[in-house]
Amino acid sequence: MPKLIVKPSSLKELWKITPALPYKRKYLSGGTDLVNISNAGADDSDCWLDVSALTELWGIKETKSSIFIGAAVKISEIENSVTARRWLPALIAAIPHFASPSLRNMATLGGNAANASPCADGVCALISERASVWLELKGKKRKIPLTGLFLGPKKTALKKDELITGFEIPKWKHTAAYQKLGPRSYFGISKAAVAISADIKAGVAAKVSIALASVGPVIVYAAKTSAFLSGKSLVADVISEAAELVKTEVSPITDTRSEADYRREMCGVLVSRALQGLT
Amino acid sequence: MEKLSFVGKSLPRKDALIKVTGRAAYADDREFAGMLYAAAVRSPRPRIKILSISDARARHTSGYVTLVTYRDIKGVNKWPVVMQDYPFLPEKEARFAGETVALVVAKTAAAAKAAARLVEIKFKELPFIDDPLKSLEKDSIKIYGKDNIISSFVVKKGAVDKAFNNAAYVVEGEFSTNYQVHAYLETQGAIAVPEPDGGVTVHSSTQCPFYVLDAVAAALGLPYHKVKILQTVTGGGFGGKEDVPALVASHAALCAAKTGRPVKLIYGRKEDFQSMSKRHPGWARVAYGADKNGRLIACRVKYVLDGGAYATLSPIVLWRGTVHAAGPYKIANVSIETYAAATNKVPCGAFRGFGQPQICFAQESLIDELAAKIGMDPVDFRMKNMLEPGDKTVTGQRINSSCGLKELVGVVRKRSGWDKKKAEGFRLKAESDKARGIGFSATYYGVGLGAKGRYLDRAGALVNIYKDSSVCVNVGNTEMGQGALTVLAQIAAETLNAPYESVRVEEVDSSKVPDSGPTVASRTTLMSGNAIIEAATPLRGRIFKTAFNLLTAKGADFSRPMVASKGAFSMGGKTVTFREVTAECWNLRQKMSEQGWYAAPRTTFKMENGQGDAYVIYSYSADAAEVEVDLKTGVTKVLKIWAAYDVGKIVNPRLAMGQAQGGILQGMSWALYENLVYKNGIMVNPNFTDYVIATTADKPEYDITFLEKPYAEGPYKAKGMGEVPLIGVAPAVANAIANACGARVRLVPLLPEKVWKEIRMMKN
Repeated sequence: MPKLIVKPSSLKELWKITPALPYKRKYLSGGTDLVNISNAGADDSDCWLDVSALTELWGIKETKSSIFIGAAVKISEIENSVTARRWLPALIAAIPHFASPSLRNMATLGGNAANASPCADGVCALISERASVWLELKGKKRKIPLTGLFLGPKKTALKKDELITGFEIPKWKHTAAYQKLGPRSYFGISKAAVAISADIKAGVAAKVSIALASVGPVIVYAAKTSAFLSGKSLVADVISEAAELVKTEVSPITDTRSEADYRREMCGVLVSRALQGLT
Repeated sequence: MEKLSFVGKSLPRKDALIKVTGRAAYADDREFAGMLYAAAVRSPRPRIKILSISDARARHTSGYVTLVTYRDIKGVNKWPVVMQDYPFLPEKEARFAGETVALVVAKTAAAAKAAARLVEIKFKELPFIDDPLKSLEKDSIKIYGKDNIISSFVVKKGAVDKAFNNAAYVVEGEFSTNYQVHAYLETQGAIAVPEPDGGVTVHSSTQCPFYVLDAVAAALGLPYHKVKILQTVTGGGFGGKEDVPALVASHAALCAAKTGRPVKLIYGRKEDFQSMSKRHPGWARVAYGADKNGRLIACRVKYVLDGGAYATLSPIVLWRGTVHAAGPYKIANVSIETYAAATNKVPCGAFRGFGQPQICFAQESLIDELAAKIGMDPVDFRMKNMLEPGDKTVTGQRINSSCGLKELVGVVRKRSGWDKKKAEGFRLKAESDKARGIGFSATYYGVGLGAKGRYLDRAGALVNIYKDSSVCVNVGNTEMGQGALTVLAQIAAETLNAPYESVRVEEVDSSKVPDSGPTVASRTTLMSGNAIIEAATPLRGRIFKTAFNLLTAKGADFSRPMVASKGAFSMGGKTVTFREVTAECWNLRQKMSEQGWYAAPRTTFKMENGQGDAYVIYSYSADAAEVEVDLKTGVTKVLKIWAAYDVGKIVNPRLAMGQAQGGILQGMSWALYENLVYKNGIMVNPNFTDYVIATTADKPEYDITFLEKPYAEGPYKAKGMGEVPLIGVAPAVANAIANACGARVRLVPLLPEKVWKEIRMMKN
């Protein structure tokens, strides 16, 4: 842990003080990733900027067309939010698989995204809900699709000092499912996970979006499978065809957590189970 | 049998209150004036020649005090454990990644850790071995002695080749099991406090304070009476705090000796993973032969343990595995050959079950395969061949009357609904991806250290009754969460007829009791229990006589017998309390303090042929596991475990139940999840993110039965309990998976990936 941890109370103050801080600096949000990395001796920052007091990063807001979730909102707050429960079924389905209750009381969606892990359950669900992310640098804001934030494992498109301020998810009528294959019944990093959001009318999926975790260098948006399913009725043949198709869209690896060929097959199993869960 | 007041009752744990209120003082909770902090500098590679160690950069760290290397060792640079091959600090060569090469002392723990990272080890990499089977090959590079064999044993009985030739049914299989990490809540730690006379007092989180005493005295070159070891409240052990705390404490003591200040050394989780003891990975090729009637006639075993870079406890772990390698069966022709092979990885040692779970997984899996080949029900097959009182084990030891194995198997068979469930076979639910199955295992477990450790198999106790009637008991075995303080207090209370609340058993102080050997091998209740009884028996004589005299003086009718129960003495309508009686004893200037000693009976085992009595007494277990296998993902969920144990008299049923449930869960966790990975001699997942252990969410339903077969030599007829529940779980689960879906997985952990591959291979 660096000796210097700074906790600004507004974005304005943040941008004012940043230039004077040591060059090697990182944002600290819930700390559930960063503190672990630091304890493992793998963080060489001279300064952490604690963003948890930035009120601009707080709250879950609803507008006519979108839901906004502040980057510093705790996962447990989302879990208990009526708005999120109404409009973000994939995220709500993913949260019980997200770490443990105690970690969910600390962890934030902003941190989950900034950490850029290909296993991030929250990000996977948000991508299937077609979320965008709001970024800010020295008062300048920009919005990009959430899929555009990730360049590789632990690598983001964030510029130096650029801060994730929140997530914008369009309001669209959909149901969702989250299927995760972890190392044990509960509380573990996935070997493979899938989030599916779909607008289903009379058994026909009008719009489908599928995201997968832990089976590529970043969270995978399964564009082909999503497109294939859109407009189709979710009958057994269609589901099994989708399960085959999704296997061509992922690029899993063998590591200590699982094996590549197993993970690829499991993508098919999870997609088909998730789709069955929707119908 | 006399009616017992305290033994056999679920009395509350002595340490419950301080633990649930957070007041228990673990090693890291203790502070001393002027205390400094140490941190280890570790070898980064599997095998290195050390060229130099420099603190040139580290010394600029604020708070830096000094660097400690082998040059600071005043005593002998050999840790006195079994083979004495492990230096306290290496001089020329470090043999595994994570080995402590030097220590940094600083004014704060953070400064010590930061400075340790800046210490530069200049080294030359040497070729290394990471595979125990390759290590044993003739043309392998030699890293340990002439042949890389740390230790080797045999059991030879009958004519094995001939028996296999004559067998109607033969099965053979290769099995392997991976490491298991103890995952104690409290990592390793010690504080060494220098004493004015040049001695040292060491506060150590340990199972075995006398191993710590041996090591610290050796490292500092001090006589034993200048070294005092105080066990701190120990946050879990499971074998992981048997030998290695002595190394940690010696390092702290070396730092204290050099600086003249108290030094605290507390391990982080990562370094604890990388450098502290583990359950040995095991590999075994086992073959069984049976005659046409389904009688086991032959068994051949080759069993190899991955010992790691130094011997530590490998020889003893291997010996226990050797003796139990054929399973709890009557077999006339047996050949068992076992090896502990050296590799350049973390030295492995004690872990609940101690060399038995690995080989038990192999042989109990194979027993199922043999039963299937013969066409017999696996439980019937076990019943037919199982050891009973009067039978001889594969080492030729005659089983005595304290053996309830057959009854255990019967109980588990009945309670689990085995016959019905087994008959249903592969139970695929229509249109479901899930299949259920049931599997069985039976085991035996030699209690105590046995023939290989017989010189250490003794224990002392000091029982002291104060003037106010409160009782203090000192023993040489430790509480590490298993409940020793409670169970031993119950035994003391029972023998003295003292109220349970008035008895306190203290954490070990090496200066108060003689060397009582290690707290391992499920021996504490038996050994320390018997030592307490020996100490308390003369006190009991005095107390009972004084009670009788007091009652008589009170006018009690002494034609009636005196009854001693629950801390009171009654006779002919009159009653006196333990408190009144002990006060009178003190008035009479009677001796109210006694020492006790218990040494295990002799064993006759011969190492040359593996024949003779290996252990004094055995405990037994039977397990049935019901599982649900997801046929699409290979994920196994253990739904329920039925287990039955014969561990002699149960001293505290609630604690025994806790031991049983914990042992089952730990066994299941090893069987299904725990997967420590090495890549090119480096541990890849030294953390709880990627080294996965079972949580309560994975917990199966338990159905546990105790059959208390009295052991005449045991304290109140008790045997040993701690390790028994873990041993048979993995094969029961593996057999259940095979029963559910036909997938026979011969590798622990039984990962979904492996089950899935087996299922897929069967389909193709």
